[in-house]
Amino acid sequence: MKKTLTIILVVMITMTSIFAAGTKESAAGGVTTIKLANWDTSTMAYIPALISAFEAKNPTIKVEVIDIPSADYVTKLNVMLNGGSDLDAFYIKEADKAKEFFDKGQLADLTGYAAADKIDLASFNGTDKTFTFDGKLSALPARTDFYVLFYNKDIFDAAGVAYPSNDMTWTEFEQVAAKITTGSGATKKYGALFHTWQALVMNWGVQDGKHSIMDGSYGFFKPYYEMLLRMQRAGTVMDYATLKTSNIHYSTPFIQGNVGMLPMGTWFMSTVIDKIKSGESTVRWGVATIPHAADVPAGYTVGSTTPIAVNNASKKKDAAWKFASFVTSAEGAAIYAKYGQIPATATAETLEAIASMDGMPAGVVEALKVTNISPDRPAMDKVGVVDQMLGEEHSLIMLGENSIDKGLAEMAARFKEVTRD
Amino acid sequence: MRSARRKPYMAGYTVKGALVGYSFILPNFIGFLFFILIPVVFSFVLSFAKWDGFNAMQFIGVRNFTLIFTDRVFKNSLSKTIGYTVFTVICTMVLSLFLSVVLNNKLKGRDLFRSAIFFPYVASIVAVGAVWQAMFQKDFGPINTFLRAVGMTNPPGWFASTKYAMTALIIVSVWKFMGYYMIIYLAALQDIPRQLYEAATIDGANAWQQFRRVTVPMLTPATFFVFIMLTINSFKVFDLVYVLTEGGPGISTTVLVKYIYDQSFIAWNYGKASAASMVLFSIVAVVTVIQFRIERKWTSFM
Repeated sequence: MKKTLTIILVVMITMTSIFAAGTKESAAGGVTTIKLANWDTSTMAYIPALISAFEAKNPTIKVEVIDIPSADYVTKLNVMLNGGSDLDAFYIKEADKAKEFFDKGQLADLTGYAAADKIDLASFNGTDKTFTFDGKLSALPARTDFYVLFYNKDIFDAAGVAYPSNDMTWTEFEQVAAKITTGSGATKKYGALFHTWQALVMNWGVQDGKHSIMDGSYGFFKPYYEMLLRMQRAGTVMDYATLKTSNIHYSTPFIQGNVGMLPMGTWFMSTVIDKIKSGESTVRWGVATIPHAADVPAGYTVGSTTPIAVNNASKKKDAAWKFASFVTSAEGAAIYAKYGQIPATATAETLEAIASMDGMPAGVVEALKVTNISPDRPAMDKVGVVDQMLGEEHSLIMLGENSIDKGLAEMAARFKEVTRD
Repeated sequence: MRSARRKPYMAGYTVKGALVGYSFILPNFIGFLFFILIPVVFSFVLSFAKWDGFNAMQFIGVRNFTLIFTDRVFKNSLSKTIGYTVFTVICTMVLSLFLSVVLNNKLKGRDLFRSAIFFPYVASIVAVGAVWQAMFQKDFGPINTFLRAVGMTNPPGWFASTKYAMTALIIVSVWKFMGYYMIIYLAALQDIPRQLYEAATIDGANAWQQFRRVTVPMLTPATFFVFIMLTINSFKVFDLVYVLTEGGPGISTTVLVKYIYDQSFIAWNYGKASAASMVLFSIVAVVTVIQFRIERKWTSFM
């Protein structure tokens, strides 16, 4: 019995590795169909647009989208890749996971392809370095998102306060939030809203480009925890516990016009436009560059890049590369910009194109001219477990269960534990 | 003498007959083999290995076990799971027994009450989670509104508090599962011969004495079944935690299976996840063996 089991196990394991290793590129006569993994495709009109433009240019390649709900995307993608699925290309939703995929040998080395096609890596504004591991270009940066400050013009006008500028410090931000907070109870207008993600505090610590969530000691978060808790006590931001226990999505209070300022990613711009178009919101909104600390230059922000990768086990790597290089080309970038998304190869022209999109408020183009984007989560080993740990400790500080000092000390102690093995 | 003894036992045994027999269990056994036996054995093997699901496995002996037993999250999850189990089992058993006894009487609207109490068991756990999150909402949830109305100035924060999140979780769990165990108790109650109660009445036993001396002993097998199922299910709790708290705030409701999930699908450390699974397996196995031993004593009068 034991022997039989051992044999079955060995057979199963070897079979998996055979499938995973893949075989030679199959040149199917006529049309090659590649499979592309993406999430919530119905909310991303640019994906079908990219595909049809690509297919028009490459009539011998068809792209089939495997759509996965966003909450399950990373897990599902991992399971598919580990299980030797015939996926050819995929977007990496959380860029920091790229290193884990690379470590597992699941990202095809694109260095040769890029050299052969004479891709100008400088056009990626440095984001390609995030996905170059051991000198191997392992994914192509497609889209970039970074944090900006959304604001509600009506609330500022009512309080007689000037709109936020593109050069504002966090201290000024806190003062402005206090000035524009009015009312109480259900009709209260809050100065600002910080969503419950730990990123909405920790980002301001890593915004200077010198620190990262993988530092292992976290004193640099302290001023921002102090600021948030102070604002929470003053009632100028919505309470963390309420947001968390009521499952309030960050978009709701903003599009309903209940908050003056919302630090959020650029992806939220197209949501606001859609909500206004569909009549769900009448908010008069604006966008400014994210505030910065006094010792950090204006234009420094935090963000992440969504890259597209080719499955190392794919049998159609050439076709998958063609698609990946198309979406990251100038042509692909123009399509992203047309739909209000910032391509990783953003230039002054693409930013203009985004700003001229129907429904964009005036002044967006200046707000988007950032000078440095620090990754919110760097693509490094163990970043997943560290991020989860930081999230747990973050909730304890924000709920007042731990003091800031104790919470930060716990983060440092647990960093050692979770990265140990 | 020997062969004569063996004969009746082996009588009619043929290879063909055995094959026919095996072929009957085969469809089920294939399912068991691929979906239970192989994964379990594989998991046992993995608990001594370091594996991310893709690269080659490295055997590292008992290191996974030393790692998890020095991991504060694991130790915390172990004690939280035990606490959850103890309170869930006790409260569910007491309440479901009470409800079944009450609803076994002739009562107006009895079927309605029975269905109402059974209903949570069939309700989707995600829907149940959303509703209870709203119920326990700390500022304007119905529960805290009620507590304030009856004079509590500072009601608990429930899911926003490390002290009360587990209590809230236990309340939801008891509410969800007591209906199912009530049905089991009801079936057992209806199996108790009426003569026993008649005899007890003639002997002058009052209602409490009848409950204590007739009902409870006669329910022992049902109680035992309920106890085992509840214990095992409580140790395995995951879905309720996942939809209600995701293990938080902090790690205050991170139970064992949530820990296993995190190790598998966030850390991609199948070795540690398997080691934790083996710990869970041994706990459940030991508890079950002890319960079976006790059951033999309990039910020996029957």
